Amino acid sequence: MRRTIELLLPALIPSWRFFKSVEASPRIEYRILQDSSHTEWKTSFERPVSLKAWQFALRLLWNSDWNDHLFMVSCAERLTEHPTQHSIDELNTRISRRIDGANLSGSLQFRLLFLSRYEHRLVKEIEYESQPVPLSDIAT
Amino acid sequence: MTFDTAIRWTEFLLAFAILQQSLEHLTAHRSERNLVAMRIPVAVALLGGFASGYAVWILMGLSVLLLRRFDGPYNGGADKMALLILTCLSLAHLAPTRFWAEMALSYLAIQVVLSYFVSGWVKLRNPDWRNGTALRDVFGFSAYPVTGNLRALSNAHGLTFAASWAVIVLEVAFPLTLSSPAVLLAALTTTAFFHLANAIVFGLNRFFWIWLAAYPSLIWFQMRVVPPVL
Repeated sequence: MRRTIELLLPALIPSWRFFKSVEASPRIEYRILQDSSHTEWKTSFERPVSLKAWQFALRLLWNSDWNDHLFMVSCAERLTEHPTQHSIDELNTRISRRIDGANLSGSLQFRLLFLSRYEHRLVKEIEYESQPVPLSDIAT
Repeated sequence: MTFDTAIRWTEFLLAFAILQQSLEHLTAHRSERNLVAMRIPVAVALLGGFASGYAVWILMGLSVLLLRRFDGPYNGGADKMALLILTCLSLAHLAPTRFWAEMALSYLAIQVVLSYFVSGWVKLRNPDWRNGTALRDVFGFSAYPVTGNLRALSNAHGLTFAASWAVIVLEVAFPLTLSSPAVLLAALTTTAFFHLANAIVFGLNRFFWIWLAAYPSLIWFQMRVVPPVL
């Protein structure tokens, strides 16, 4: 009950501080570990280079993949601010759903890379690296 | 706009927004899809104006369950606004007298004004927003631009500077638009296009639909509170 109230209050008395400042932005990368080998780190979400006008229009009504990506970004931010098993599980689950079916063996590990601007250049920092979890144990 | 009309329009637009969110979420895994799918028939009932009071309360309950399921909002500010609208409508239906029902809708209207004003004020106080750097950063490295090509806008210094100030002025000056119905209507048209632009460029489609759902409360509030100019 207490957790529900904690979650509900910011909606009922919102702060509305949208984009107060532009903080470091997370990128979620993953790799698959098998025995003593592992794949290269790969990005969990590849944004398209461009979209056609009708695709922009369609996304006003149907934007499920992008909204799932935004939720993963939220989980990544939550994980660095207030780490919880919920955020770890959500990221493991959602990354594993995005992995090509042919690779569904071994263990999944992800890391959170944060991009920010320092003076005039972009800086990347690894702020979190998860414990590998067998893909067969991840509830998809 | 009468109070009853404002309530009905808010319910209709909210039902549409929830229906849109729920339908696009049906592609999710069944563990979350089942909970989301339960909202669909209720939103359809609300869209048609059938048992609106019950529909609003059921949607409120399901939204709280979703809040627990995702340990917070699934879609940030859009989910928070949906919860706020649902809460105010629920209270308006539950209110013992018209006075308290109007108080519930007034709270929603005031929060809409604050959603713009506070958002603009915090930007105005930030030098990075005032010189356009913050918006360049949004395009440059934030998670929001929907295509790789949009990142090039981080190099358009003049455009990002002008756009930053346009957003700041629009948001900070928003409370002044309550001065007359015509000005408010013009402002709401502008902010609707602002949300549309955010939906197109940053993929925030749910924000667009849910903020529109809050506008009838503001139109009613302006007519109810601000005396007409003779």
